[in-house]
Amino acid sequence: MLTRRRAVAALGLALTVTVSGCSAMGGGSDGTVRLQMVESLTNPTRTALLKDLLADFEKQNPKITVNLVSPPTAQADQKLQQMLPSGSGVDVLEVRDQTVGPWSNNGWLHDMGKDLKSWPGWNDLTDKARKASTQNDGKTYFVPYGFYGASLFYRKDLVAGAGFQAPPASWDDLLKQSSAIQDKSKRRYGYAFRGGQGGFNNVTMLIGAYVADRIDTSNAYKLKDGSSIFSAPEASDALDTYLKIFKQGAPPSSVAWSYPEMVEGFSNGSTAFLLQDPEVIATLKESKALGADQWTTAPLLKGPGGKAVQPLGTAGWGIAQGSKHKAEAVKLIEFLSQGAASTTFAQKNSLVPILKKAAEDPFYRTGAWASYVTMANSPDTYVDVTQPRDAPWFTEWSQKADADVQKLLLGKVTAKALLADWDAYWTAKWQSEKG
Amino acid sequence: MDTGAALTTPPEQQRPGRPSRKGGGRPAPAAGAGRRKREFTVRRGLVIAAFMAPAVVFVAVFTYYPMVAGGQMAFRHWNLADLTDRSFVGLDNFTAIFHDPLWGTVLSNTAVWVVASIVPQLVIGFALALWLRRRFRFRGLYQALIFFPWAISGFLIGILFRWMFNSEFGVVNDLLQKAGLIDEPIAWLADPKFAMTAIIIANIWYGVTFFTIMLLAALQSIPDEIYEAAALDGSGKVRTLFQITIPYIRTTLTLTVLLRVIWIFNFPDLIYGVTGGGPNNETHIVTTWMINITQQGDYGKASALGLLMVAGLFVFSLFYLMATREKKEAKS
Repeated sequence: MLTRRRAVAALGLALTVTVSGCSAMGGGSDGTVRLQMVESLTNPTRTALLKDLLADFEKQNPKITVNLVSPPTAQADQKLQQMLPSGSGVDVLEVRDQTVGPWSNNGWLHDMGKDLKSWPGWNDLTDKARKASTQNDGKTYFVPYGFYGASLFYRKDLVAGAGFQAPPASWDDLLKQSSAIQDKSKRRYGYAFRGGQGGFNNVTMLIGAYVADRIDTSNAYKLKDGSSIFSAPEASDALDTYLKIFKQGAPPSSVAWSYPEMVEGFSNGSTAFLLQDPEVIATLKESKALGADQWTTAPLLKGPGGKAVQPLGTAGWGIAQGSKHKAEAVKLIEFLSQGAASTTFAQKNSLVPILKKAAEDPFYRTGAWASYVTMANSPDTYVDVTQPRDAPWFTEWSQKADADVQKLLLGKVTAKALLADWDAYWTAKWQSEKG
Repeated sequence: MDTGAALTTPPEQQRPGRPSRKGGGRPAPAAGAGRRKREFTVRRGLVIAAFMAPAVVFVAVFTYYPMVAGGQMAFRHWNLADLTDRSFVGLDNFTAIFHDPLWGTVLSNTAVWVVASIVPQLVIGFALALWLRRRFRFRGLYQALIFFPWAISGFLIGILFRWMFNSEFGVVNDLLQKAGLIDEPIAWLADPKFAMTAIIIANIWYGVTFFTIMLLAALQSIPDEIYEAAALDGSGKVRTLFQITIPYIRTTLTLTVLLRVIWIFNFPDLIYGVTGGGPNNETHIVTTWMINITQQGDYGKASALGLLMVAGLFVFSLFYLMATREKKEAKS
């Protein structure tokens, strides 16, 4: 029988445990602060690296400890979307160009503008990095840790074997070379075409290259006159070329190919060309089918006007509005965004770096990374553009656009109808933004 | 209820009623044939409530509250892109679903997905259960091997099949070509019709196991004497199957089919792993479509779809159980 005294003791114990449990989340009695950090593009190697960097930070700041939470990538955004509204449990978090719009809109992210004013590291950031950290409303919701930008991976042996002196420099070249290299009977294909998830990105990049002279660099879906790139007559030519590449120089089943199939197709030697982000460099170095001398990268493909657009994806670290330890969180973000921590993180994750000094590093000047330096040195030819990834409806758009691209490849919609639909979609969205 | 009757202890075996503390040793008034009714006091009620409270609170907080909270989103504008406006919109989310061009495709896909998966699963699963019922060497090993797929996550199976059905470097086309059954590789996941076939094949492979497990357990409960008697009466294999085996395990069969229909309906993992609902959204079923809508941030519409799904499954279960019960009553 539970006596009253025992019941009171049990209640007391329960309270003590609960209270001590709660205080462990915020900090200890000795003044240590415990930061909760949530990453979203989780992968085991990156998590291990991040933990090493956090250990260095803790050594430098003995009064701060960091608890890293690493949900699997596929569920990370949803987890964060559940954690952020509650206003607790997250201090520092990974924010991406695609999530910053909706999350800041909902008041979940802290504006670090004022906090970073006194940070000397700000001036060491490249223009690109500083631009990416400042949103359209002038606020800083995250500091990028690097950029994801595509380049053309190609097979040196297959290109030379088909009688070409140089890798494709334009989309027309890609059509010629992939058609020449493709031989289905030998299971050899030209271009690792992306028809599945994320395929719309390559289409918009291609259309961008065709209208590069008139593109609005702050919104890669707009022309300088305010109309959408999809309304331009060149967009139709671009899609014609794209369809030809699919029919003449790509695996037929690539309607359903997305990242894993494309990378596998190139790394197992089935395809000659691949348009991908630099993290593939590390994957290809591990490939058993390809020798190091068989492949390298070339700069992005140009349109008929001799220019290419380079949409850079980005992600970085931000602070939750609900965090009770913003000063410590700022300290951590500053640490990760400067010096050795930033360089190590960018190099090990194959990212275009955020620090000016990194471009001088031999790591970026040689081998497969050289094409990135070429592109960076010719900003008039390889025009940096920002895609409207921060639009709250970007996920809706990406799902719609992916399905539309597959419709086009399966012959269920014409290029003309698709472009008219995309033009109408964005024009309506921009009007609703104004209204 | 017959189970209640079976559990009732015969009156002569009942222990004498313990005197209630409040009654000061006075025996509780007898009710019925030898049954003593316990005195129900406020104190006893509180004790019962206290014992029940943890379970009630747990279920209320972790099951019913999320259900109600999720359910009310269906009648609101609830979009993650802008949570500042969560106004009540009545049935707008439902109307949006009915007017969505994908709704028809999703419904017919769901029906095809459920029916085309469950029939072969039942037939193959039943056949395997019949085979495993017999005693033979290494039966335990075979059983373990057959049950193995059930232990793997649906999403993982999806990813495995995605690679197996890859047209250029997948094992399926490779085997078909080596066997001389096809000349050109089939673009399994690039053609909507083949893609649907591919995910159904994957699902059949995955779900056969559950039928085998359930039906084997039921088959093992049939006494051997019945089969011996049937054999003595000259019953053949087919007649024994339809007149003894199937009637004997009918309850398990009915419930297994019902459970599987609900589970297959609610099983987006595999499709998500293999096709992601593509190409051109043509392999979406209700649940994969719901995930897509959730990813777009439109929780209101996704929640409305969820409610429609629950209602649909509820009506199905009701009709199914009524139909199977009528059969039973008509027979008895």
